[in-house]
Amino acid sequence: MTMKDVLSPTALSLYHELLETLGPEALKKMLLTMHTIRAFEERAEQLYAEGRVHGTMHLSIGQEATAVGASSAMIRSSGDAGDYLLNHHRGHGHCLAWGSSVDKMMAEFMGKETGYCRGRGGSMHIADVDSNNLGANGIVAGGVPIAVGVGLSIKMRGTSQVCLVIFGDGAANEGAFHEALNMASIWKLPIIFLCENNQYAMSMPYPKAFNIEKISQRAAGYGIHGETVDGNDVLAVYKAVSEAAQRARNGEGPSLIESITYRYKGHSKSDKQAYRTREEVQDWRDNRDPIMRFNALLVRTGVITEAEGEGMREQAVEIIDRAVAFSEASPDPDLKMIMDGVYA
Amino acid sequence: MRELSYAEALREGLRQMMETDPSIFLIGEDIGVYGGAFGVTAGLIDQFGGQRVIDTPISEAGIAGACIGAALTGMRPVGEIQFMDFVTLSMEQLVLQAAKVRFMFGGKAKVPMVLRMPGGSGTGAAAQHSESLENWFVHVPGLKVVMPATPYDAKGLLISAIYDDNPVIFVEHKLLYKTKGDVPEKPYRIPLSQTHVVRQGQHVTVIATSIMVTRALAAADALAKEGIELEIIDPRTLKPLDDAPIIESVKKTGRALIVHEAVEIGGFGGEIAARIAGSEAFDYLEAPIRRLAGLDIPIPYNRELERNTVPQIENIIHEARKLAQTAY
Amino acid sequence: MATAVILPKFGFTLESSRIVRWLVNEGDTVREGDPLCEVETDKVNMEVEATADGVVAGIQYPAGADVPVTNVICYILKPGESADAILAPEHASAVAAESAASTPAPAQPSTSAAQKAANGVPINASPLAIRVAEEHGIDLASVQGSGAGGKITRADVEALIAAKDTPKIRATPAARRIAAENAVELSTVTGTGPKGRIQGTDVTAAVARKPAAVLDMPSAPSSAPEPTPGNRVIKLEGMRRTIATRMQQSFQQAPHTFFEANIDTAGVDALRARLKARNEKLSVTSIIVKACAWTLKRHPYLNATLTGDEITLWSDCNIGVAVALENGLIVPVVHKVDGKSLQTIQTEIDDLAARARSNALRLNDLADGTFTVSNLGMYGIDRFTAIINPPQVAILAVGRAVRQFVPDEHGSPVAKSLVSLMLSTDHRVVDGAQAAQFMADLRLVLEDPMLMLW
Repeated sequence: MTMKDVLSPTALSLYHELLETLGPEALKKMLLTMHTIRAFEERAEQLYAEGRVHGTMHLSIGQEATAVGASSAMIRSSGDAGDYLLNHHRGHGHCLAWGSSVDKMMAEFMGKETGYCRGRGGSMHIADVDSNNLGANGIVAGGVPIAVGVGLSIKMRGTSQVCLVIFGDGAANEGAFHEALNMASIWKLPIIFLCENNQYAMSMPYPKAFNIEKISQRAAGYGIHGETVDGNDVLAVYKAVSEAAQRARNGEGPSLIESITYRYKGHSKSDKQAYRTREEVQDWRDNRDPIMRFNALLVRTGVITEAEGEGMREQAVEIIDRAVAFSEASPDPDLKMIMDGVYA
Repeated sequence: MRELSYAEALREGLRQMMETDPSIFLIGEDIGVYGGAFGVTAGLIDQFGGQRVIDTPISEAGIAGACIGAALTGMRPVGEIQFMDFVTLSMEQLVLQAAKVRFMFGGKAKVPMVLRMPGGSGTGAAAQHSESLENWFVHVPGLKVVMPATPYDAKGLLISAIYDDNPVIFVEHKLLYKTKGDVPEKPYRIPLSQTHVVRQGQHVTVIATSIMVTRALAAADALAKEGIELEIIDPRTLKPLDDAPIIESVKKTGRALIVHEAVEIGGFGGEIAARIAGSEAFDYLEAPIRRLAGLDIPIPYNRELERNTVPQIENIIHEARKLAQTAY
Repeated sequence: MATAVILPKFGFTLESSRIVRWLVNEGDTVREGDPLCEVETDKVNMEVEATADGVVAGIQYPAGADVPVTNVICYILKPGESADAILAPEHASAVAAESAASTPAPAQPSTSAAQKAANGVPINASPLAIRVAEEHGIDLASVQGSGAGGKITRADVEALIAAKDTPKIRATPAARRIAAENAVELSTVTGTGPKGRIQGTDVTAAVARKPAAVLDMPSAPSSAPEPTPGNRVIKLEGMRRTIATRMQQSFQQAPHTFFEANIDTAGVDALRARLKARNEKLSVTSIIVKACAWTLKRHPYLNATLTGDEITLWSDCNIGVAVALENGLIVPVVHKVDGKSLQTIQTEIDDLAARARSNALRLNDLADGTFTVSNLGMYGIDRFTAIINPPQVAILAVGRAVRQFVPDEHGSPVAKSLVSLMLSTDHRVVDGAQAAQFMADLRLVLEDPMLMLW
């Protein structure tokens, strides 16, 4: 297959529109981060299969463009200078894209004291409070009402921060989603509700769970901005989230952005994926893979060479190798500290 | 000393804290110009404006979530759930989020929020507006549970709860709002997790919460005329519980009666009984530990049915007397 | 190098999976992600996918095998690679270790067939004895055999079971603690709680009645403040505290009612005089105790105890006789008075009083009273009221006999010796009419002691 096949019609025009803002180095970094996310997820799966980690995990392979596009559009810093991130349990990619340490993430994944949550949170609950990453949530839509509080706090403290909350299509059918969007709307809170529609809420296909064409149509019901973007086009996601952040900083309130994407792996472990065909997965892999597309774009536009593109994959694997080594050398939490951290 | 009602004491605590600390704000349903369903926040919107006394849509999960998010990012929210019954709609946010984020994140975040809510029966509001659900929260690691019984405790405990860095479920009682008591004007704190011996006595230890403290005191006055002296203990903070004064008291009296309004089975009384039985006080017991609590039914509407569903003064007198006389 | 395909861990509780069937054969070409075999897990059947492109080789387990997770199940060769690239099966050593572990252990002997003592020597017991022992969880090694050659019989086992089944003592935790602290056997203490449960106060009382405790009573504790000259401070403890507690409890809890009758002692005096002539001693107290037993038989509600919600009417009349001591008061009991002769009663009372004064009473001497008589007549007291000794419901206070003029049927003064008998009853159990009828019968039998024969 040629590169041309995988480029969306808008990819080149978006590239030219954003090149000035982002610059080639930023674009290269975005591609490397996407590779890193995929390498992390693949290694995560391998470690689990080998019995070297336990629990469960929700892999985001195939969804890298949404994570990287959205995070790149936010101000990632600490304290009042940075924006906030809230996400849910398919969140490894969001954290990595937000700039979290791969070492500390892997250590958390392996339940080590050196992990972001000192081995207490694990795969589903990675948080990096110091960089305003308020953590991944194991409850579908659990973080959505919390975003309202973050938005309220930003407004009351009078800063120009924005809160990005990422959730899946399943979350959009929780009652809490409705309460939160309505409250954010009536108070014009600086929040970006980013819905990663990866087509399945566990096994429930999108068309069976919604009687609307797009989840973003729901924005109209709350009187807020809504739009649907190609979630496997990193620049499209970047653009939509950037504009939403700008609106939020201008005091225009929240936005609901639906990002159409696809997960290649099962919902979590023990998913036989009886609800979809092997061919369907292969079709997304072959024709719409976000890394392949972005790589093709950057090669086509001369930002990188084909060899550089391949080198990035190896570079990402090395990053993960180092993180695994760091984690394996890290101590387990001290059993004597088991009660630690329940109360402040 | 100056007398205030329980509701006034809460309001004064809120007002004084909001005057000194801009990170404190109120959020809930109809707490603004309406003043709250029981008038606790009356007038506060005039002083602090709608930015700090925030009326919400009917969205209990949203209220809890808003408190959590704001608390995570530097504020000290005080939320109000109009009736404790409605907190069932906030349970996910409270139990799975507020209580757990700190631990889940390795002790690196804090959630300094208070969620006030009136529980209890006695107003003829029937099954869905009269519940006492405090023990649900006692069962959740990461939450604190406070239940003041007097205007003095209400103000002092509320101020401590606001300045606690953990999520605090603050359970008020509808029938207590109008009760009066001495309340100092100056702000003061009553430390959380400090059990209070309300009345001294040598015959029976009565551990009571919320409005049952008031009823136990009335029962004690009646029994004193018969020569039976009750020692009344109010834990005030159900979680984390300071059980030492309870155990000390039972060592003295050898008899324990636990009184609460919530349904007996699975109620807080079981925890108290277990703490006593599992402590050194066991060796001093002269009778079985007794509980007096709500019947295992929803709160009925009919006045007499409602009254008979939860412990009343005469029930406490009867039980305490039988215990004192070693009739069990 | 060949890629090893392992059996992945599909669920966090999964230790092994069974290969249901192979979907490929050795030599088949596969793409990464192609299913290789179907395995059964604790949840559902899953497919193991190829982890690389290449040719399947070196299948390690046949269909049907149960494979520990993470073991290699097959290899995928790169194009041109030979099957020799496959190393020796990685799980070989594990398999060897496992088979060693699963070597059948020596057959366990059936426990019922032959229980053995710890030293391995078979125990000589009848089959029935073995069965009964097993049913009751008895270790036969602890049973002494009484059969031929020391063989353990069913009777031996049952005797042991019976010994084990002695009734449990009902006592509050406080009672058990106080008993342990004071080395009191709970079996010697009478419980006043519900269903006779022993309360802490019961043990405290028993401790106070223990002779040793009486001797130990300090007259003035050294830690007490220096008393003003002439005053003495005595700590309320030991027997004094027990009396204080019990009398206070009784007077506060039992609604006392009082019934006085003045009895003509002529009949009693005559009886005593006749015995005195024979050099036999018979005290007023002994006669009254006997008369009380006679009357109590006819009025069971006064021969009763009240504990909790229960009134117990006793068939025996166990009458306590209050004995004054230098430092207090003690009430030894004459048991089963109704079946005893006056002479026996007199002997027992003398013995109890003597031993009370010499601190030689046993706990049994104090237990199980059902009624009490307190006689202060010898001190010249005309009449007094007594406090009921709980859980009893009645006590009789006896004053001195006083000679008085009383009008006869013609209105003429007649000199009579009258003694005041004051009955205290617990109105929770005994109503006024019952008490009055008791007193009427008591008067009858005391004024005509011959009736005691009836």
